[in-house]
Amino acid sequence: MSGTKLRLRASSAQGYVVALGLTGIVTGAIWVIGQVTDVANISMLYLLAVMASAIFFGNGPAILASVAAFLAFDFFFIDPRHHLTVSEPEEWVALGLLLVTGVITGQLAAALRNRAREARRREREAVVLYDVLRLMIGADLRESLAAVAERLRKELALAAVVIGFHGGTAADLWAEAGEKEALGLARASGMTPKLMLGEGAGPTSERRGTPGRWIRVLPPHLPGQPGQASDRLREVPVRLGDGMVGSISLVRRRQAAPFTAADDRLLSAVGNQLAIAIERTRLREEAAEAEILRRTDELKTALLNTVSHDLRTPLSSIIASASSLLQQDVQWTEDERRDFARAIEEEGERLNRLVGNLLDLSRIQAGSLAPQRGWYDLSALVDDVLGRLRFVASRHRLVVSLEEDLPPVFLDYILIDEVLANLIENAVKYTPPGSEIAIRATRDNDEVRVEVADTGPGFPPEALPRLFEPFYRVQREGQVARGTGLGLAVAKGLVEAHGGRIWADNRETGGARLVFTLPLGQPGQAPVEAAGASE
Amino acid sequence: MTGEGEGRTVRILVVDDEPAIRKTLSTNLTRHGYEVDTAETGYEALDRYSRKKHDLILLDLGLPDIDGLEVIQQIRQRASTPIVVLSVREAEQAKVAALDLGADDYLTKPFGVDELLARVRVALRHAVQQAAPSGGLLRCGDLEVDLERRRVRVAGEEVRLTPTEYELLSVLVSHPNRVLTDRTLLQAVWGPEYGSEAHYLHVYIARLRRKIEADPQRPRHLLTEPGVGYRLISD
Repeated sequence: MSGTKLRLRASSAQGYVVALGLTGIVTGAIWVIGQVTDVANISMLYLLAVMASAIFFGNGPAILASVAAFLAFDFFFIDPRHHLTVSEPEEWVALGLLLVTGVITGQLAAALRNRAREARRREREAVVLYDVLRLMIGADLRESLAAVAERLRKELALAAVVIGFHGGTAADLWAEAGEKEALGLARASGMTPKLMLGEGAGPTSERRGTPGRWIRVLPPHLPGQPGQASDRLREVPVRLGDGMVGSISLVRRRQAAPFTAADDRLLSAVGNQLAIAIERTRLREEAAEAEILRRTDELKTALLNTVSHDLRTPLSSIIASASSLLQQDVQWTEDERRDFARAIEEEGERLNRLVGNLLDLSRIQAGSLAPQRGWYDLSALVDDVLGRLRFVASRHRLVVSLEEDLPPVFLDYILIDEVLANLIENAVKYTPPGSEIAIRATRDNDEVRVEVADTGPGFPPEALPRLFEPFYRVQREGQVARGTGLGLAVAKGLVEAHGGRIWADNRETGGARLVFTLPLGQPGQAPVEAAGASE
Repeated sequence: MTGEGEGRTVRILVVDDEPAIRKTLSTNLTRHGYEVDTAETGYEALDRYSRKKHDLILLDLGLPDIDGLEVIQQIRQRASTPIVVLSVREAEQAKVAALDLGADDYLTKPFGVDELLARVRVALRHAVQQAAPSGGLLRCGDLEVDLERRRVRVAGEEVRLTPTEYELLSVLVSHPNRVLTDRTLLQAVWGPEYGSEAHYLHVYIARLRRKIEADPQRPRHLLTEPGVGYRLISD
């Protein structure tokens, strides 16, 4: 742009002046040396001036220095002195050599200078891009963007940087860094005239891309108003595919140096990186959503399987038994009739427990479980549960040991009854008939601890962390998983609703152990807790 | 009807991991004159069967150790003992697989005891028929198929069938009251390279129904077993 060219011109003029000055200094030096002694090819000293001009100011000043040296040497040191003519023809050769050597040296030095400058630019670009990439790795996108904004602001010595994304899944992300006044200007970038970086030419395999030019953009409702701010406010669009997903707004300091082509390239590279980073985040979010959906689906499938198999199994027994009783061609004995009736009762109970568990699980998951608590005696509850499970556990030895003088516990009788039943049923399901199942209740400081321990194969270690997940079932080698995977999940939810804890481990003597605790409120606390519970 | 058909008591093996089902089935079957053994797992079933060679097996497909399908396979390698599969409604694929592996019939859980006893009788009768195939004339109610003269009559009236229709009907009539899977029917009528072209079969079944059923909308002879296959009712 015009500003950039101007600066170039200014620095060139300076360079040409210095080049002439250097030539003058060398001329003086040669004269001084010439007074003292006679040095052959003293004109080579001019090469120093040429190289210095080339290194610091580039090609043009170097050529000027060469020509000036040629003229100055001719004028001051070659006979006839103070004339631009030359008497001896061989002096022409020396002068010509000086000119040619000067020009070539100047060219080489200037090329070197350009290459070094280019390398520095590239390095800076690479470092900034690398930093941007690293900053974007952070887990929190907003923080990452803020860090990128700050990094960019420091790098380009800007007053403020605002990075904004709109639409898409990363809806309206906003991150900023910089001075207050400048930030205000950047935030209002939609309503202020500004310069926007064009897309430029994309890179190909042969050629690197070039950033676009800065284009003046006027907000639609401010037609033709030139606006002072537009020189300070710049915007780099962040494009993804064909669409613009966001932008980097930059506010330059007053009287700051204009952006160089390297700055432009850097800005458009950062814009591209941000677009890629945002796209990656969006894909990651989509993948996470898909994962959630998949898990929900798995849960539904598990639920369907449970309903299909476990609800129908007891129903099968009930229907088979009931239809047996209704058989016309058989006269059942009293015992047989009672067996059928008992089967119907037992399987009905089982169905009831299953339906209860399913309902409880849905209530736990919906967070709508409200225990109706009261003060109860644990031993009565244990007796109740054992009575109800007498059919289920008829082939196991249940050993109950309750600590004497257990205080009453503040609990929802029906729910804790269900917890204990689930734990005992679990033990029955996974231990061979005839083995012992120990039910113990003890007081442990301010809580009561209930455990159900069996002498079966115990839990496989890898199953321990997942035991209380809904529909998780322990799978043993060569066996189809059994049970619904509901009992322990429900027990966990119910115990936790009472402020208790539940866990599972393996006994040192072999066998599995399931333990839960319930807090023991002091009698005086009862009304307070009761009030809290009824909330 | 009792299990004492041919001089000795018919032995039935009940395989189910549910104690309540085993008990109910065994009480019922015993009372109907069968000798009943029970097994809880697949291996136990194979072990029992290899010792006693039962006349019929009632097999639940969801066993705790090995798949019920594998039990069918193992038994079919040795003998053609009738196998009736017990399974829940959603397991259509498993039922088809079981029938294709050689199971004779299936019962959907939950089932009533009458239905169970009827299926047991059909399976046993079929086993007897296989041993001594009946003559050239097959009867299913008012449906009459003369296998020697390839003629079909419904309520005394002769019905004209195309060769494919006749083939299909004769396969069904030769296995009365048994469910035949789509695959079995396709391969029996169209040839062993068929198996997945169920739509051929559905078209021919519909044509057959129009010819042999009084009301094709509500068939009495040729029943659809949803998701599994077809069954020709003889009673």
